[in-house]
Amino acid sequence: MITARLGLQARLYLASASIVMLFAFNVATHLWGSYARSESVLAYRNATEATALVQSIQQGLTTEHQRVQVLAALRETNAPIRSTQRDQANAELTAISDQLRGLGGLSDVQTEAAFRDFYKVSSDLLNEWARFYQNYNNGALPTQLTAAIYDASVDKLRLLADKQNAVALERSTVIDNTIQLTDRITIIAFISSITITLILILTLIRTTNASLFRLRVGVERFGAGDLTHRIDENRDAGEIANLAQTFNEMSASLQTAMSDLNEARADAEAANEAKSMFLANVSHELRTPLNAIIGYSEMLQDELSDGGAIDRDQQHHDLTTIIFSGRQLLTLINDILDLSKIETGKMSVSYEPFNVAGLVIQVCDALSPLLAQNNNRLDLNIEAAKDIDIDSDAAKVQQILTNLFSNACKFTKNGTITVDASVENERFTLSVSDSGIGMTEEQQAKVFQAFVQADSKTSVNYGGTGLGLAIVSNFCDMLGGTVALTSSPNEGSRFDVSLPVGPV
Amino acid sequence: MPNSEVLLVEDNDINRDMLTRRLSRAGLPVITAQDGETALEIMRTAQPGVVLMDMTLPVLDGWEATQKAKTDPTIAHIPIIALTAHAMAADRERAMSVGCSEYETKPIDFPALLAKIYQFLGAID
Repeated sequence: MITARLGLQARLYLASASIVMLFAFNVATHLWGSYARSESVLAYRNATEATALVQSIQQGLTTEHQRVQVLAALRETNAPIRSTQRDQANAELTAISDQLRGLGGLSDVQTEAAFRDFYKVSSDLLNEWARFYQNYNNGALPTQLTAAIYDASVDKLRLLADKQNAVALERSTVIDNTIQLTDRITIIAFISSITITLILILTLIRTTNASLFRLRVGVERFGAGDLTHRIDENRDAGEIANLAQTFNEMSASLQTAMSDLNEARADAEAANEAKSMFLANVSHELRTPLNAIIGYSEMLQDELSDGGAIDRDQQHHDLTTIIFSGRQLLTLINDILDLSKIETGKMSVSYEPFNVAGLVIQVCDALSPLLAQNNNRLDLNIEAAKDIDIDSDAAKVQQILTNLFSNACKFTKNGTITVDASVENERFTLSVSDSGIGMTEEQQAKVFQAFVQADSKTSVNYGGTGLGLAIVSNFCDMLGGTVALTSSPNEGSRFDVSLPVGPV
Repeated sequence: MPNSEVLLVEDNDINRDMLTRRLSRAGLPVITAQDGETALEIMRTAQPGVVLMDMTLPVLDGWEATQKAKTDPTIAHIPIIALTAHAMAADRERAMSVGCSEYETKPIDFPALLAKIYQFLGAID
C-alpha cells in the first residue's frame, strides 16, 4: 500500500487534505442546491405577482371598458360628466397604466415579445379612453370608440398570461430537476465522503499500526538481547523510517559495545586465569626445592642428635644439595622480582663494555650440570665474537642466555644444544638451538607472554614458571634488540637474539 | 604375611634420595619407581603395603597412575598417599577424587607422613 511508504506526517497531511477536499465538494453541492432553491422561490414569487397583475389589469380593463360603453351610450342624452368623475376615471387609467409598467418589470427575455405586443395595444386603448374622457363634455369633438382595440388588448393579455404560465412551468420543471439533482449529489457525496474518510482513516490506522508493530517487535528483540536483528527500514519512509534507522543504529552501537565488553571480559578472565595458574605454578616451584632443603636439614639434624656414626662425605653431599636447592629458589624469586620490576617499569639498563665470548663461556660453564642432567651435548661456536667487547647490559645479556640455555636443556633429552655468538654490522647475534621437543605454531605465538608456557602440562612435565621467555623478550626490547623463534614439534627450537653493540 | 614395604614413586632424584633415606632410617623397607608406569608394575609384582605417589611424573603421571591402580582389582586395595607440591585446595580434592587415600604436600611434614604410613600398615596388620 502506498501509504506505507509515506512518513507519518505525510500520511496525516494526505488524509487531512483528502477530507478537506471532500468537505469542500459537499459544501459546493449544498450551495448549488441552495442557489437553485432560492431561484425557484424567486421565480415562483415573480410568477404569482405577474398572475395577480394580469388578473388586476384584466379586471381594470373590463370595468373601464363597461364604464366607457355606458358613458358613450349616455352621451346622446347630453349629460356632462363632473370633473370629479373625470379625475377619478383618469386616476383609474393611471393605475392601470402603472400596473402595466409593473407587469413590464416582471417580464423577461422569454415573455418580453408577448408583453410588448400587449403593451402596444393596451397603451393605444388607454390613450383612446383618456381622449374619450377629455373630450366627453365637448360635444364638438368625436368620442368614437374602436371595439377592436379592446378586443385586441384582452386577446394580447391572454396571450401574455399564457406565455407567462408556460415559461413559469418550464422554469419550475428545470428548477425542480436541478433541486432533485443537487439533492441526489449531496446525498451521494455525503455518503461517499463518509466512506472514503473512513477508508482513509482505517488505512492510516492500519498502516501506522503495522509500522509501529514492526518497530515494537524490533525493539523487543533488541531488548531480549538479539542485537543482530535489524528493523526493515525500507518498509517505511519519513519519521518511522528514521526511528527504525535510529533503533538499528542503537542496536549496532550496543552490539559493538557488548562485543568490546565481552572481549575485555574474556581478556580479563584469561589474565586472571593466567595469574591463578602462575600462582599455582610459583607455589609448586617454590615447594619443590624447599622440600629438599627442609628434608635434608631435618635428616642432618636427626643424624647429629641420635649419636650414631657421622658419614662426613654423605653429609657434605647433603649440604651441597641443600645449597643447590637454595640457589634454585633464589633464581626463581629473582625471576619473579625481575618480571614484576619490568611490569611496573622499574627495571633500568646499565651499559658497560664487556667481552661477549667470555660471557657466553661463563654461562655455559655455570649451567653444565643442567646440560648433563638430560644427557645433552653442547656445541659452542664463538669464534666470530672472540676478543670483541660490546657496550651493553652484561647482567641482562647473561640472563637472556641463561634462560634460553636452561630452557634448551630442559626440553631436550639425549640431544645437542648449539650456542652461536657473533658480532658483525654493529649487531651482536646470539642463537641457542636445541634438538628437543619443539613447539607448534600456536604454542610459539604465546610462549613470550608472561605466566604462559607452551601448554598447561609443560610445568607438570618440565617445571618452570613460564617467566623465562617473558624476561628474555622484555630484556631484548629494553636493549633495543629482538628475539626470534623458529621451531616445529619434535624437531627442536631455535632462538635468535640480535642486539645493538652500543647503547640505543 | 602382610607386606610392610613402602613404594616411593618420585622422579626428582634429590627428593627421592632424601625420602628413601629418611624412611629407611625410620625402619621401613623402601622400594622406588621413577614414573607411573613402572610404579604400576611394581605394585602388581611386589604388592607393597602403602604407596607414596608424587603426582608430577614422566610417562604416566601420578593422577592417571592412581586412577589405573584403583581399577585394577589386583592392586586396588593398596592405599596410595599423594605427595605433591601442588598445594591448592583443588589439588587435594583432585587427589582424593582419583582414588588417593591420603594427601601430603611438599615440603613434607615427615612425622605426619610417618603417622599416616603406620596407620595404613597397621590397618593391614
